[in-house]
Amino acid sequence: MAVVNKSYFCFLILSLGSCAQNIPVPVEPLIPSVGTVILDQNIVTPADSEALEIGVRVFENPLAAEGTVGFGDLAFNEIRDNETHYLPYLLRNTLLESNHWGAVRVLPQNDPSMDLLIAGSVIKSDGQRLELHIEVKDSTGREWLNKDYADVTQEEDFPESTRYTPGNRFEAGSFVDPFQDLYDQINNDLVALRDAIPAEQLIDIKRVSQMVYAADLSPDSFSNTLTADSAGRLSVNSLPALDDPMIARVEDMRLRHHLFIDTVDEYYQALYEDMQPSYVTWRRYSYDQIEQTESALQEAYDASRYSSSRSYLTLTQRYDRYRWSKIYELEFQELATGFNREIAPAILELNKQVHGLSGTMEEQYIQWRRILRELFALETGQL
Amino acid sequence: MTSSVAMTQTASSQEKPGIWLCRGICCLLLLTMETSVYAQDDLPILDLNNPVRLNFEGSWEKDFQRSDKWEEELNRVMRLRQEQATLQRSGISTHSNPSVSLGNINLNSSRRGVNIVNLARLAEYIGRQTTMEIIQDRNEVRIERRGEAPLICGMETGPTNTFSSAHGFETCGWDRNQLVFEITLPEDLYITHQFAVSSDGSSLRLVTSIQSGGNIPFTLNQAFNRYEAPPDQYNCIQTISRGRMCSQRTPLD
Repeated sequence: MAVVNKSYFCFLILSLGSCAQNIPVPVEPLIPSVGTVILDQNIVTPADSEALEIGVRVFENPLAAEGTVGFGDLAFNEIRDNETHYLPYLLRNTLLESNHWGAVRVLPQNDPSMDLLIAGSVIKSDGQRLELHIEVKDSTGREWLNKDYADVTQEEDFPESTRYTPGNRFEAGSFVDPFQDLYDQINNDLVALRDAIPAEQLIDIKRVSQMVYAADLSPDSFSNTLTADSAGRLSVNSLPALDDPMIARVEDMRLRHHLFIDTVDEYYQALYEDMQPSYVTWRRYSYDQIEQTESALQEAYDASRYSSSRSYLTLTQRYDRYRWSKIYELEFQELATGFNREIAPAILELNKQVHGLSGTMEEQYIQWRRILRELFALETGQL
Repeated sequence: MTSSVAMTQTASSQEKPGIWLCRGICCLLLLTMETSVYAQDDLPILDLNNPVRLNFEGSWEKDFQRSDKWEEELNRVMRLRQEQATLQRSGISTHSNPSVSLGNINLNSSRRGVNIVNLARLAEYIGRQTTMEIIQDRNEVRIERRGEAPLICGMETGPTNTFSSAHGFETCGWDRNQLVFEITLPEDLYITHQFAVSSDGSSLRLVTSIQSGGNIPFTLNQAFNRYEAPPDQYNCIQTISRGRMCSQRTPLD
């Protein structure tokens, strides 16, 4: 009976193996790397009326949305979730460093007060390669970007301070992100697109975002100021007078709202700073692990090289190679868990209760917008 | 003073029946709650998604008396094959095994496989550990052996691919109450570990079988007895930026 069971088990394993071999795996074309990019920096700070305000939404994790997390992948999926908070902040810093834009903030949700909104999802992220899908729209609904970006790292991108050894401290001040070229490229693409838009249209974007925010605050009072064309693009059809008290209140509310989202942005900054040393070290481990796996594949078992001898030594070497590759893989998984454990307090801190609000940062943001709407209605006597 | 004491006494004596009633109800409620808590603790949580498996958890040490010695097992296999070859030469068919000749008892390397002596020595090398630690919960079994990567398997029915690299892959699964790991190395070298625990949970049997190129496998049986390992003094966790952090265990850990 035991023999039958064993045969059945072996049959199942072989069937599983043969099934896996027969399924054709679709090969996705590789997204070309951005290569070496120099950030387009503006020497003169743009005037407030010209500088577009940008909101960078927390990125999405398509793996979690598709539910494709497999056996042993939970720790890696958690890392991806944490990255969705960290990577937007790098893009935000790059955009600010370029000096081409107004305020740039990381946001948990779409924000109606922004001139430009950047949404992204992490297609692939490890120590060797980063692939992002980036979508950028302005307040009128015009699509600026809908593009995949990729960048690869090299050994030189990871300075010695990124490798953990006792007493070796990570130097945040002099560190340049290994995928900085990717963020520089996104900024440069946005600058090129903005430069191609006539100045009047840029002013329109700012007007529309002002009225979109007003309509979000009080749809009854302001929704008639905007019209959408057949393509869904918004434009302002009537502007209230500059001394209109309702507009003054909207601006007042917008100012309060920006104070709130500045605070939210500071939370993301704190998370970024807390997470950076661990994350960079983790990426370094990931880079080493991929390099090691690739070199193992290049040295993949060569029958002519190893099996000429079926000696005991050859057999033990074959077993030891397998044994060490498994030990290394499990250690890497343990490091992944260690990384998540280490940054858990920072994630908790991010989601800690803001005065009077509760829930995650996303939930607090929604609550805040509702409070502002109610406050506006109260102040303008709509309630 | 006296009258106030008397009044207090009168009041307390008037309150007594109410207090006793309240106390009684509270005690009854507490008793009921306690009973229900104990009742809940006594009842195992039935999780239909997780099949019931035998408990392998504990520290195990090799019982050398009851374990195969690789040289003896090798001699036994060789003797059997020689006998079989002799029988075949005299024209007596055994039917149970493939035909074996004295020149082909797998002592030397066959065309596809590895000779049995080397398989036997490899089995001894793989099973060299004298102790092992097994951690088991509702979701997985983790077998830790010194110098080896842990063998980890979930509780699901059916084979699960647990590791794969350029140097080999590992699959695990349950064969009734036995926990089976199958490792496939390059050049058709298969290693199978079968773990079975006795019904009283005091001993464990590990059968390691090594096969090369479709030839007859070499199998080594090892017996283990449960023992009380001293508790680990330190609680260690892996961190990224501070390496491995250890703290002394407290009785509450």
